[in-house]
Amino acid sequence: MINVYSQLQMLAGKALGGLCLDPQNASPGPFVLGNGDFFIEIPVAYGCSYSDITLTGANGTAMPDASELIDKAIETGVESRMCTAIKVACYYLEAGLVRKPDLIITSNSCCDAMDTLGNLLNGYKPWADVPKFIMDAPHSFDEESYKYMGKQLRQAVTFMEDVFGRKMDWDRLREVCVLSNKQDQLLLEFQELKKAVPCPANPDLSRLGFAYDRWTGERVSPQITDWLEQLVCATEERVKAKLGIEGVNEKVRFLWQDLAGSWPPGTLWARLQQELGAIAIMDYMSYCTLTPIDLTSEETMFTSFGKRFLLEDPMNRQALHTTDFFCNDILQIVKDFKCDAVIMPAHIGHRDTNSRLKIVRDMCREKDIPCLVLGIDIWDKRYMPPDVVFDRISTFFQTTGLV
Amino acid sequence: MKSGLKSEVFEKFVKIAGGIINPSIENWRNNGGRVVGYTCSFVPEELFVAAGLTPFRIRGTGSDQSAGMADDYFEAANICSFVRHCFNKILLGEYNFLDGAVIGGGCDANRHIMDNWQKSPAKTPFLHRLLFPHSSGELMANYFCNQLADIKGKLEEHFDVQITDRKLWDAIKFCNEIRDLQKELYAFRKAENPPITGAETVPVIVAGYSMPKEEYSSDLKTLLDELRGVSAPDSKYRARLMIVGPGHDDSSMCDIVEDLGGLVVADLTCFGGKVIFGAIKENGTDPLQAIADYQILDRPFCPKNLGAHPHIHKEIFDKIHDFKVDGVIGQNFLCCETWGGELYILNKELKEAGIPMLRVEREYAADSTGQLTTRVQAFIETISGGAL
Ligand code: SF4
Ligand code: SF4
Repeated sequence: MINVYSQLQMLAGKALGGLCLDPQNASPGPFVLGNGDFFIEIPVAYGCSYSDITLTGANGTAMPDASELIDKAIETGVESRMCTAIKVACYYLEAGLVRKPDLIITSNSCCDAMDTLGNLLNGYKPWADVPKFIMDAPHSFDEESYKYMGKQLRQAVTFMEDVFGRKMDWDRLREVCVLSNKQDQLLLEFQELKKAVPCPANPDLSRLGFAYDRWTGERVSPQITDWLEQLVCATEERVKAKLGIEGVNEKVRFLWQDLAGSWPPGTLWARLQQELGAIAIMDYMSYCTLTPIDLTSEETMFTSFGKRFLLEDPMNRQALHTTDFFCNDILQIVKDFKCDAVIMPAHIGHRDTNSRLKIVRDMCREKDIPCLVLGIDIWDKRYMPPDVVFDRISTFFQTTGLV
Repeated sequence: MKSGLKSEVFEKFVKIAGGIINPSIENWRNNGGRVVGYTCSFVPEELFVAAGLTPFRIRGTGSDQSAGMADDYFEAANICSFVRHCFNKILLGEYNFLDGAVIGGGCDANRHIMDNWQKSPAKTPFLHRLLFPHSSGELMANYFCNQLADIKGKLEEHFDVQITDRKLWDAIKFCNEIRDLQKELYAFRKAENPPITGAETVPVIVAGYSMPKEEYSSDLKTLLDELRGVSAPDSKYRARLMIVGPGHDDSSMCDIVEDLGGLVVADLTCFGGKVIFGAIKENGTDPLQAIADYQILDRPFCPKNLGAHPHIHKEIFDKIHDFKVDGVIGQNFLCCETWGGELYILNKELKEAGIPMLRVEREYAADSTGQLTTRVQAFIETISGGAL
């Protein structure tokens, strides 16, 4: 049956499906390449394409020939236990499959693997002539840090202007920010609606909306606003009618404390919903903590960008800061979204999470929150196949009496 | 291969580097001295010296293959064994003599030592993190300067000391002098027949981060005098090698190389060549800024830093030239992404330059040396043109 959610899913899915080796938000302007998510508002307002090569690598792991691709990536000879998404990105780069950019912007956010990729990009011989701008994302989140990051983002704009010989249209940037603030507000509204019991709509739509909004060719367009408005509207109706996800008998709500990666949504999560009534009510790419960009002045605008970069970008929020901060997020999500359990995928590439497992486990035990640590590769299904993961989660829910 | 070095002071360094607590530290503490541990060479020893404290670089020396207790905190399959073994020593109480510790904000694994230490049963009174920028530039040096000011304030408060500018300038000068002495030691290895081997150099350098500084400086001067007097025998080594990578706080890799007839003449590692590089400016208006500029602008050799590669490249190629290096061993600990990536780039560049390189991924402690030995042997044979 085609309902509004499947329509929305199709629309976003189509746009996301187009993300491949080409610039991810192709526009007629110059092409900027980075090793992480840059400020979408900036390239959109400037009228240039921007690609995040990490995302390119991550997308590779979801391709039909992913296993072959990952094997080739392993053969490149970068660190053998590095994050698979980054390995695939390294392979794309080394195999000469990535379009040559007009400018490279790299930063150390959010993990060691991203740094490695950044250094590979900066040191890639065939692109020695491409101008490069490097930013430092500090492992701190206070006003000073936001200003520090904001200054660098402002410098990045000046650098772009110098390289391309064209000025930023500041009115256009404001316009884009207004639209982007509106879209973020809608993402937050959908997130609020997800707190209802039963959960009114597939929670993964948050993640989809976030990716659609930020990574596709439609970036910050009225089309995205429309998509999000429909999402919120349809979900409000369902909350009023106390309806849960169609065809799902909700029994367990859990926090998937990591990125979804390239495989859980279509396989594992759908099966958990159908067979166990277990819903991944929140994951770390869906968790929206965005605050509006302050448009008072150019400085406040860039400080807001700095804040977003350090604190509100999901991967940075998860990886850059202290374990206490990470644990507080877990507790907050469990409380707000009425989670019955926490599942720590503990992606093998996440050195930060893999350095925190005892603290998280101890905290959950103390607070009486059932917690399961998996140790999977969120990009390579062969490391621990979805069937095995399903069985482990299922046993965990049974032994804790949740199903 | 051994140089035949016979020296009391050298034996003292070997003992100090071969363990953690040592008589020099005990003596310092018995006389009321205080000791602060730190991880990562970006934590400047100058700050502690200016506060009258002895800095002690945290290592996992003496660990066997398992990091036992630390593996509860750091997942063994995914976290570098250097970090796990260091933390295991902390959990085992071998760092209980510390009056405090400053954890550097280096790689993802290293900086989490702080969080785990705070929650662990090891109760160390003064625990702070020092955040580093991860790229190089004026803005970053200023950021680091602010972080240093923050730690300085915390040290002053906790240890009830005043770290004046004068004391900081004195500490900078003193630490520069030590670096100069260490560079002199390294310079001996440029010779055709050096009076000291690579394996023998490691404990001399490591001891410098593990004992009171004045005592070290005086002992090192004695050793240098002794080395000046040695007429090194004609040693028949088969290749002059350089080691690049993290760690290098023990001589295990040098031992393998030198037992097989190679000679390690240089390194760019986190306990060696990276640390003794250059000097901090001894004048200016702000000593903290001078330290920050040195760490962030002059010495950006950490591959965790974006944009570090050209500096690393230059330093390695300069050393290859100055120390007449025949081949490079690039070793990183498993799961060390930053060094793994750096060595990957370096491998390609050395290949292009016609300089042989051996890539090794290994564990920190008590590696199964069988396979490693075979690979090093094959490498030396390739360079030297055949088996002995
Ligand atoms: S998935 Fe994790 S390890 Fe991989 S690039 Fe993203 S943050 Fe880094
Ligand atoms: S060896 Fe690598 S992973 Fe280990 S502490 Fe050093 S930089 Fe970090």
